[in-house]
Amino acid sequence: MKLNIEGLLVYFPYDYIYPEQYSYMLELKRTLDAKGHGVLEMPSGTGKTISLLSLIVAYQKAFPLEVTKLIYCSRTVPEIEKVVEELRKLMEFYSKQTGESNNFLALALSSRKNLCIHPEVSALRFGKEVDGKCHSLTASYIRAQRHSTPDVPVCRFYEEFDAVGRQVPLPAGIYNLDDLKDFGRRKGWCPYYLARYSILHANIVVYSYHYLLDPKIADLVSKELAKNSVVVFDEAHNIDNVCIDSMSVNITRRTLDRCHTNVDTLQNTIQKIKETDAAKLKMEYRRLVEGLKEANVARETDVYLANPVLPDEILKEAVPGNIRTAEHFVGFLKRFLEYLKSRLRVQHVVQESAPQFLKDIFDKVCIDRKPLRFCAERLQSLLRTLEIADIADFSAVTLISNFATLVSTYSQGFTIIIEPFEDRTPTIANPVLHFSCMDPSIAIKPVFQRFQSVIITSGTLSPLDIYPRILDFRPVTMASFTMTLARTCLCPLIVGRGNDQVALSSKFETREDFAVIRNYGNLLLEMSAIVPDGIVAFFTSYVYMENIVASWYEQGILENIQRNKLIFIETPDAAETSMALEKYQEACENGRGAILLSVARGKVSEGIDFVHHFGRAVIMFGVPYVYTQSRILKARLEYLRDQFQIRENDFLTFDAMRHAAQCVGRAIRGKTDYGLMIFADKRYARADKRGKLPRWIQEHINDGSLNLTVDEAVQLSKHFLRQMAQPFRQEDQLGLSLLTLEQLESEEMLQKIAKIAHQT
Amino acid sequence: MDEEPERAKRWEGGYERTWEVLKEDESGSLKATVEEILFQSKRKRVIESHGQVRLGMMRHLHVVIDCSRSMEDQDLKPNRLTSTLKLLETFVDEYFDQNPISQLGLITTKNKRAEKLTDLAGNPKKHAAALKKAVDTVCLGEPSIYNSLNLAIQTLKHMPGHTSREILIILSSLTTCDPANICELIKTLKSLKVRVSVIGLSAEVRVCTVLTRETGGSYHVILDESHFKELLMLHVKPPPASSSSECSLIRMGFPQHTIASLTDQDAKPSFTASGVAPGLSLGGYFCPQCHAKYTELPVECKVCGLTLVSAPHLARSFHHLFPLQAFIESPVEEFQEDRFCQACQGELKDKSIFTCPSCRSVFCVECDLFIHDLLHCCPCCIHSQSAP
Repeated sequence: MKLNIEGLLVYFPYDYIYPEQYSYMLELKRTLDAKGHGVLEMPSGTGKTISLLSLIVAYQKAFPLEVTKLIYCSRTVPEIEKVVEELRKLMEFYSKQTGESNNFLALALSSRKNLCIHPEVSALRFGKEVDGKCHSLTASYIRAQRHSTPDVPVCRFYEEFDAVGRQVPLPAGIYNLDDLKDFGRRKGWCPYYLARYSILHANIVVYSYHYLLDPKIADLVSKELAKNSVVVFDEAHNIDNVCIDSMSVNITRRTLDRCHTNVDTLQNTIQKIKETDAAKLKMEYRRLVEGLKEANVARETDVYLANPVLPDEILKEAVPGNIRTAEHFVGFLKRFLEYLKSRLRVQHVVQESAPQFLKDIFDKVCIDRKPLRFCAERLQSLLRTLEIADIADFSAVTLISNFATLVSTYSQGFTIIIEPFEDRTPTIANPVLHFSCMDPSIAIKPVFQRFQSVIITSGTLSPLDIYPRILDFRPVTMASFTMTLARTCLCPLIVGRGNDQVALSSKFETREDFAVIRNYGNLLLEMSAIVPDGIVAFFTSYVYMENIVASWYEQGILENIQRNKLIFIETPDAAETSMALEKYQEACENGRGAILLSVARGKVSEGIDFVHHFGRAVIMFGVPYVYTQSRILKARLEYLRDQFQIRENDFLTFDAMRHAAQCVGRAIRGKTDYGLMIFADKRYARADKRGKLPRWIQEHINDGSLNLTVDEAVQLSKHFLRQMAQPFRQEDQLGLSLLTLEQLESEEMLQKIAKIAHQT
Repeated sequence: MDEEPERAKRWEGGYERTWEVLKEDESGSLKATVEEILFQSKRKRVIESHGQVRLGMMRHLHVVIDCSRSMEDQDLKPNRLTSTLKLLETFVDEYFDQNPISQLGLITTKNKRAEKLTDLAGNPKKHAAALKKAVDTVCLGEPSIYNSLNLAIQTLKHMPGHTSREILIILSSLTTCDPANICELIKTLKSLKVRVSVIGLSAEVRVCTVLTRETGGSYHVILDESHFKELLMLHVKPPPASSSSECSLIRMGFPQHTIASLTDQDAKPSFTASGVAPGLSLGGYFCPQCHAKYTELPVECKVCGLTLVSAPHLARSFHHLFPLQAFIESPVEEFQEDRFCQACQGELKDKSIFTCPSCRSVFCVECDLFIHDLLHCCPCCIHSQSAP
């Protein structure tokens, strides 16, 4: 259908539209008009992706000069593929409606592992191996060597691409990963480099967060993307953690050992080169004297995306003298390593700020701040000069040099924690140096600064106002959309008491309480008897789950549950978990019924959807607070309090509730789906917790379903499940939660739609 | 004091929210919407059934009754099992009333096994007796859909191709304990053209959805007892025959009821070939082919295999073939004359009225359903025909 969104003609490839989609597009259009950033929350399964795509594509077509590119960031490869498929549908609709052939270029980009077509390299199993092998075949000096000695192996796909691929741009069309591979095979071009090259002139790019947020990758891939692009972060409820992870460094004793061997190799290579080709090293030296001026020029003319690891000041200066020659630099690295080793030899926990660390390193081994800042750049230059093919082996030393640069660059927003052992195993020495980023805005800042509009969207972003605060940006729109429903297909219940009136809670004091554990067991048992097919139960942590399940076993609860359903358990092992998932789905499929016990923040809670019968009920045992004794967390909380005036408790609750919402949101993946959401903890009934749930869940929690006992919850669930089992067809939705064009354009409906978006 | 020894004390019973039933629903809350949808589907059913379709008038139906642990649940009063059996009794009566030339068999499943309660037969009394006796069964273990279907297939697959083969499962449990993969069995059922329908007593189970969708049956879940009854009665009506079922002429006998004493003075009571209570009697139906004697119709002759029916039986299933046309629904505002239902003489208060297309009489919703479900003819049309 063709929609008119405040004067913009939008092609929407379906005959029906959900009211909230229309509302979402309105808000999105306003954000783009204002050339600002937006935070939009819309429940999963209501067609977020297609709304985003159709509006932005329409915008691109209408104002080709104002928005040149859409950068769509998603989390996983399957999600990326889904986006591309939606896009393909949209483009087909366009060409059908307008009769013109499509002149849009859209493509997905993923790692070499997913795109390589080289017969040997693509057979490798791990991403790192593929990257390393690819690099050893395509690095510039390898290819240069081939001119003199033709038996050096190179990748013929890359050669072919390099020879002809750059002249002709990729023909317009929609390319997912497989399409790119097919195209590459047909032409004999390397799909990975083709894609990387093509994103510069593509209209739409779909790739993973890391290509934009992780400074190491962003520098390679996304540096030259046009400034007037629209960036969308989908499923962005965890974006702050992604930012933090991309800037944090953990150093263990093993890293240091490997680093040591790295440095030794470097030294040997330098020695060798010195004998054979001293001129090369001299040339490098000269280049370093000149400094990184060229890079600086590029950045000032605003061609590049800023790299947070490489701060602006560095670019203006020349590399300091004491690390300019290769030997000196290696010596410098060695000293730095020894220092780190000595720091790891502590017996007690140390926490210090970056300036403290710098002072200490200066006192102990006389390393200045300035050379440290150049460490990362200097190492890159050395590796290039030494023509070391397999960069994968040098990950350890790269990590250390990144650490050196970061620690000397940022005096704020980072903390250094050295722990001699893990909290759980105080007897085993396993020293770790955490260099942890506490400020997610550091990594994402260049993105906000560079691009004209950045949209952060997800099914669960509540409370909306906290994201702009922790990411430090000013959005022009913040809106939360509810789900319009023809029938109430979600049933959130807060179970606060057992049948014996014992308060249910996973809080620390009552965690070991026998009565609580028994009542939790009772809840699961009763639910297993009345909920058909699949139930997913989430615990707050693996330890807690182990304890509870062990004591259920002793009390015989587990045996009783097994009469109703089979039980599967998520473990930290990925292979085991995917096996359990597969069997779980099978059991749901053939009527035996199953329960999956899993952990909030685990793999299941983030990435797996439990559509229809795979998840008729989700039970959340306890509030999934993060492990509050962790020193990294404490440091972060302190930082948030000092810098952003966010109270510890607010942040912890926010974090717990967004994970709880993620978990229970697994059950509802669309309007025809239905599911129970059971929050089994007294604390959910409190306004401060409840108020932080997404609006589309919150509005279905009425006062009557607040502090229920297990029995009451069972009665309500039974009733709900029977209601939901009644036949439900598309016609029942029409006009209420599903609209045709005429219905949409009626005055009454437009008024209703205006109420869907909830501005904050 | 011990007038109700069976009933549990109030505080021992389940937790109920009786006030929820009475909930007002201005905001389009759950109950209102679901009920609206139900009403619509009720009407739809009436409308859908009208069309010239071939119906499978000779039905072979196996009813599978779940007797697993979950049947002891007390959400139907006094418990699910008793309530189900009671409703089934009326169902059996109704079934034979509407489908006199069909047969029915009962299967129970519990403790992972399936047992035959009664064989496929055409006599309602035997089934009713079996159902009465089954009230005392102990419910235990899990049901097995696979085993019950398998048991039903064993007899159904030998039934002739022109008859319809149906299985109706009344499932209370939410789990099934199967010895093998049920998907294979579903394929077999599909190839044998067995139609499986399920009535769920608790919630929607995926495997039943698949089972019914694949075999062309229906799947419903009850809301309460009256809804349960309604759903059961849906299965009384013969389903449309699949287009691929064979056509063949069927030999039928129409025996007259004769009492020997009227014609012959020294007649002696004789044994009947089959019946509920075998014994000596004077009168009976004699098979026109082999003169075997039966006390009741319809029956399949034990001696020569001829189907024996009486003419009224056939006539009774007649209305399925020529159903009453659907009445035209229109909003009550458009209706100008006196707002009274022609049937019950009550005032038309609902928002829509129903008009008979042939005599233009006006009816209310309740009467519309009553006429279509039970009378099968428009009372006003009949009245105008017989008047002159």
